[in-house]
Amino acid sequence: MNEEPPGGPKIRAGYDLEIRHLKNRAVEMGDWALQMFHDGWEAFEAGDLEAAQKVLDRGAQLDRYDEDMEHAAIAFLVLRQPTAIDLRTAAALLKITTHLDRIGRLGFDMARITSPETSGDKDDLTRVLERMDAVVESMVRQALDALATDQVSLARDLFRRDDEVDQLHREANRRIIDLMVKTPAAAPRLAMDLLVARHFERIADNACKVGEKTIYALTGQRRSEYLPRHPVVPYVLEAPRKDGRARK
Amino acid sequence: MEGTKLKVDRLTAYYGDNPAIREISLDFPERRVTAIIGPSGCGKSTFIRCLNRMHETGAHTRVEGKVLLDGEDIYDDDPVRVRRRIGMVFQRPNPFVTMSIYDNVSVALRFNGRHPREYVDQVVIRSLQQAALWDEVSDRVDAPATSLSGGQQQRLCIARALAAGPEVLLMDEPCSALDPLATSKIEELIGQLKQDYTVVIVTHNMQQAARVADFTAFIYLGGLVEFGPTEQLFERPKERLTEQYITGRFG
Repeated sequence: MNEEPPGGPKIRAGYDLEIRHLKNRAVEMGDWALQMFHDGWEAFEAGDLEAAQKVLDRGAQLDRYDEDMEHAAIAFLVLRQPTAIDLRTAAALLKITTHLDRIGRLGFDMARITSPETSGDKDDLTRVLERMDAVVESMVRQALDALATDQVSLARDLFRRDDEVDQLHREANRRIIDLMVKTPAAAPRLAMDLLVARHFERIADNACKVGEKTIYALTGQRRSEYLPRHPVVPYVLEAPRKDGRARK
Repeated sequence: MEGTKLKVDRLTAYYGDNPAIREISLDFPERRVTAIIGPSGCGKSTFIRCLNRMHETGAHTRVEGKVLLDGEDIYDDDPVRVRRRIGMVFQRPNPFVTMSIYDNVSVALRFNGRHPREYVDQVVIRSLQQAALWDEVSDRVDAPATSLSGGQQQRLCIARALAAGPEVLLMDEPCSALDPLATSKIEELIGQLKQDYTVVIVTHNMQQAARVADFTAFIYLGGLVEFGPTEQLFERPKERLTEQYITGRFG
């Protein structure tokens, strides 16, 4: 009876190493995706077709990462039949890799719509897009750091930063539409800017999802438990801003 | 929330002067499966044996606290009557080896006064059907129980327990001596039995608990650490000790 030593049970490492290895592979995939997004944006902004092609050529490796991660996580589930934190981590990683894949894929899409006709008289817009890029890139990096170092607070902070991206996204949309009205000839190019702004916003959302799943893996808490969603209405029905302009 | 069939209130069980379980309080919901998990020597089997007064049959054993079946303390009742209402199935199949399949099941009735043959037949057939064994033995109920496979013998023991007309069924690692196919048949059977019975199962197999139990209790060093819906216990246990145990970090 009661063979445990006094002072509590002897703790073994369990599957810690395997889990760590799985996480490291996910972070490696995330770095790859982040680089694709970074280079995709730079190619787009510079209108550099050669740089864009290099990003496009990296798509196949992104697929391989995605497939390898899925395979490794499923093997872990089947062979170890994990429970509790191990189960949550494996399940979270399956979803996290999907979000990382999307981040890389959106960088791929930026490269895909790269065209030499980039420049134009749109300094204000460029500044907003550059600001979006800076915030969103650092969000992806932060999501990967949270995953790599098991930091719940770092992951939670992503939701706050996502609000800034949403505001910048609306700001970008407003400027683009203004420019379209002023210079209809530039509309084809501006439509691409509209897409890129949307891609930034999607990447930030995917970074938040990575954070959300990291929190779930570490604590078992789901988003609705710590960050209930507020009711939202169509933009046009939102209260006008103080400057009198309708929100877009 | 379903009603409580069996309520354990501050139960302590001793071997000599040593408590094997201490002050366990636990409510078993009616017509649900509750799994008891925990490392070897934690007191799982002692605990379940207290639930139908089996513990006190050993030498130098003693129980403190209450076990209420439908609100009545089983320790104020006749032990034989208690064991008829709270049946038990053990780790290894233990059919009466000198008896036929039929007699193994009907024996519970024979100790229970005289009954007309038709009635006994009915109970035997119904019990074998409930234990999901009837289809396999219907043409040879007079064959010796030992002619059955291990998995079939275990289902025979379940049929024998059911024939006594219990309300609660205690199972102490009922699949640990069985192969995976026989195990899955017993697990499927447990799922059916809970329509009529309150089931308590001790198991070493974490996945089995996850598959069959609605609720799970984790016992460690004779104390109850955590009790809750099985899904919650396995996905996000509240206690660190539970997490360490079920993820294989100790035990």
